[in-house]
Amino acid sequence: MRNRFTRSASVLTLGALLVVATACGSDTKAPASTGSVAPSDTSATTDTSATTEAGADISLAVNPWTGAAVNANVAKIVLEASLSTKTTLVDIDEKATWPGLDDGSLDAVLEVWPSGHGADFDTYITGKKTVVDIGKLGPSAKIGWYIPTSMLADHPDLATWEGFKDPANAKLFATAESGDLGQFLMGDPSYVSYDEQIIKNLDLPLKFVVAGSEAALITAVQQAEKDGTPLLLQFWQPHWLQSKVKLTEVKLPDVTDACTAAATANDGSYACDYPVDILYKAASAKLEAKNPKAFAFLSKMQLTTDQQNEIAAMVDSDGKTAAEAAQTWVDANPDVVAEWLK
Amino acid sequence: MTATMPTRALGETPSRDTITSGHSKSRTPLIAAVVALAALAIVGFTLGHTAPTWLDAHVRPWFDSVYKWSQLNNGTNWAFRFVFHPIADAITWSNDKVLALLRALRWPGMLALTGVIGLRTGGRRAAITAVLALAGCGVLGFWDDTLITVALMLVAVGISLLVGIPLGIWAGLSLRADRVMRTILDTAQVMPAFCYLLPLVVAFGIGIPPAVMATVIYAIPPAVRLTSLGIRGVAVTSTEVGTSFGCTGPQLLTKVRLPLARRAILLGINQVIMMAFGVVVISALVGTGGLGQDVSDGLAKVNVGLAFAPGLAIVFAAVAIDRITTGERPSRRKNAIANQAIRAVLDNPRYVGAAAMTAIVGIAAVAKMTGLDDFPQSLRFDVVKPVNSLATWANDHLRNGVPIVGGTGSFSDFFVTHLLTPMRDLFQAAAWWLIIVVFAAIGWVSGGWKLATLCSVCLVGIASLRVWDLAMDTLSQVFVAVLLSVALAIPIGIWSGRSDRLERLLRPLLDAAQVMPAFVYLVPVIFLFNVGRVPGVIASVIYAIPPGIRLTSLGLRQVPYAPREAALSFGATGRQELFKVQLPLALRSIMLALNQTIIMVLSMVVIAALIGGGGLGLETVYGLRKGETGRGMAGGLAIVLLAIVLDRITQAWGKRSSGGLR
Repeated sequence: MRNRFTRSASVLTLGALLVVATACGSDTKAPASTGSVAPSDTSATTDTSATTEAGADISLAVNPWTGAAVNANVAKIVLEASLSTKTTLVDIDEKATWPGLDDGSLDAVLEVWPSGHGADFDTYITGKKTVVDIGKLGPSAKIGWYIPTSMLADHPDLATWEGFKDPANAKLFATAESGDLGQFLMGDPSYVSYDEQIIKNLDLPLKFVVAGSEAALITAVQQAEKDGTPLLLQFWQPHWLQSKVKLTEVKLPDVTDACTAAATANDGSYACDYPVDILYKAASAKLEAKNPKAFAFLSKMQLTTDQQNEIAAMVDSDGKTAAEAAQTWVDANPDVVAEWLK
Repeated sequence: MTATMPTRALGETPSRDTITSGHSKSRTPLIAAVVALAALAIVGFTLGHTAPTWLDAHVRPWFDSVYKWSQLNNGTNWAFRFVFHPIADAITWSNDKVLALLRALRWPGMLALTGVIGLRTGGRRAAITAVLALAGCGVLGFWDDTLITVALMLVAVGISLLVGIPLGIWAGLSLRADRVMRTILDTAQVMPAFCYLLPLVVAFGIGIPPAVMATVIYAIPPAVRLTSLGIRGVAVTSTEVGTSFGCTGPQLLTKVRLPLARRAILLGINQVIMMAFGVVVISALVGTGGLGQDVSDGLAKVNVGLAFAPGLAIVFAAVAIDRITTGERPSRRKNAIANQAIRAVLDNPRYVGAAAMTAIVGIAAVAKMTGLDDFPQSLRFDVVKPVNSLATWANDHLRNGVPIVGGTGSFSDFFVTHLLTPMRDLFQAAAWWLIIVVFAAIGWVSGGWKLATLCSVCLVGIASLRVWDLAMDTLSQVFVAVLLSVALAIPIGIWSGRSDRLERLLRPLLDAAQVMPAFVYLVPVIFLFNVGRVPGVIASVIYAIPPGIRLTSLGLRQVPYAPREAALSFGATGRQELFKVQLPLALRSIMLALNQTIIMVLSMVVIAALIGGGGLGLETVYGLRKGETGRGMAGGLAIVLLAIVLDRITQAWGKRSSGGLR
């Protein structure tokens, strides 16, 4: 019995040694990346364009939504083709992005939704100063309350929050989970949510239910669309689902100074609409010294809402990869890109 | 032999402990227990309906401040600069090297290597299965992502074994070490990875290092437990023989104990690998890439097929590695080759190994020269479309309008209104001390005053984490999920214990249900059961029934032939044989099945929260997704305490059921 053990062990050791021997020859050829790096679709173009002085390699964070992938891929193409900077894209969770920027293992993230990252802003940008705000991305985002547009035909009063005061109207949204009250569905817990406060302070007969993830929320929307059942949810623009399912934003009370103060104080008295989220870019503080050209470019790069939507649609509706869509757009818009590089 | 059966039993020791049942011993513990309960009741009554505010361990603010401090000081503090960062660098370095080796082998070389190892460790069948499974990853179109995942697994498994086996030896030799370690391992195993992933990122940076560390935390328990089990299982006679021949302590360990514990240790290695595959998707959140990321991408697009295909690749990779590490090699055929000289060469591991390795290297070199870098496109098979059309069909036809039952949607609503909500209301409406008294009483009946104390302490702990109502919500869901799982697993287990054909048929299905990341079936489950608590319960049941079925079937199969024969000769019918002989004798194993089911359901609490389960699981989700570490930790610890209570109670049942038979 013992024999077998030593035997297997020796086989494995020997194997490992031999493999090392072969690997030495080919090691350099294998992509220099670790597993932490998403395979780059356009890296083939990098080597050929090394005419200008090459900048230090950088890595960009890609958070899990189409817009983020689009921005990062556009930036990658420009960085590699025009600035000779080898760029790797790292698929990573939003929250984990910040420690990455902090220690410099990520160089930049190109789409931060401010509403979800107040604490990170305080810790890393104003506090530790290891991350720098490098300006607006361009598009604005808006969180709000949504219902299927088709519901407005029979219930036009649901276009504003006052329509939900009527218990009979609210009851339309009742589910097994919400019992007699109407269900208000919230998706991913990481998104900013004043919904519980709004429901309480406006005294609406609704019950706040957390779906737990964006996937669960989207599935609920798709099912409601398919069955023609009512659904009231927290949702936002821009999102790929908005082009596939017709949703209408419910009008909530306008944002007032009192509301802004309530949000800052976090005292539970918030009772207005969500403020507009102005998306911004953030970079590691080390980037400017490491690769000043890339830093200048990333600070300057901006996409309009329309431009971002145009590229995102190629991904979400036409089935292109984000890299392909970005390449198509960059090829078609050389003047926009040139502007970023000035 | 079901090799992939996880040994998740919390603190399973080879226990030859005395069976602590309070009845027969003396009256003192009984009186003590009654007095204690009465005192608790009086205290509780004066304290009121909900847990008093002073009962607060301040866990949340404490973890929050530690986390905040780490965020601010991880660049300057010595602990980060001289401990965590070098560890992170070492992990990244080894991962890079391993991945480079795997890539250098090219796919033909990898398949050959798998085949050779499979032949050495598991025989021809195992080798063929492993090679086909690994090739399956390529066929699905995930060859390079599989390599990325496998490299991460290998590094994590290597560290787990390097740390776990010595710890296991220590625990095997020292009873006190074993006891301390048991608590730590319980926590490591049940604590959801969501709680500690973000702190690990702050400590180790992003990418591979925190992912490896999270995998190690989750996967190390079987290495420690099974090593300790193996060492403890060595017969006293063997060690005495060693001592009488003058073995020194270290000699006794290396020459007697470790060789005799080899089987258990090998099973431990296998289990570590299987566990490691359980956190592939979660660890991808910190930027590892690989198959886990592919599953997340599919989930983000809410595309069942896109999430299923990489999930299937994870199953294939796990099966391949499982088959070549199970170590169930059939005995060598004797005299197959008559010539002594040839036999001598073939039996010499050095020659065989060298030949095999030369062959593998040759294959890799040829593959490199002929440009076989990527898995051939022509062999690819697309599962995304068929899976999606299946999902659409199920969504169209099963949810509504099924005759009589009405469909999964109305089943779900019925379930919520008539079972989950009343039970939650009951648990939440009961005074907190009453719940504690009830659990203490159950503990006392099951295992005496010690268990009663443990249950009370754990539940008071949950109250001091300030998550009592959420814990009751979770408890009601766990209760329903366990009931459903047991109702499904035990009959199927009994059936499969009596039918070899069913057992063979079920094995791949159970393997897949256990290794397939739950993230893959979240979307279909919500399709069918609407967002809420029911899909969470259903997902838990899918995940929890495999060990239940396996252990029940195993228990039935382990009943010795003699008593069955005796029963049959007395004219027992098949049914009588089952109910009067097999089931009573398999009771211990069935109790273990119940225990495992509970632990598996509890490990799904977080996943359930992602599809509307709420409760403690949602607290830990907040911990990761919102960076509220203290909140996540409080939720995670409450899950651990709940698990300890339920685990110890059901373990006590298991011990009693065997005690009753002898």
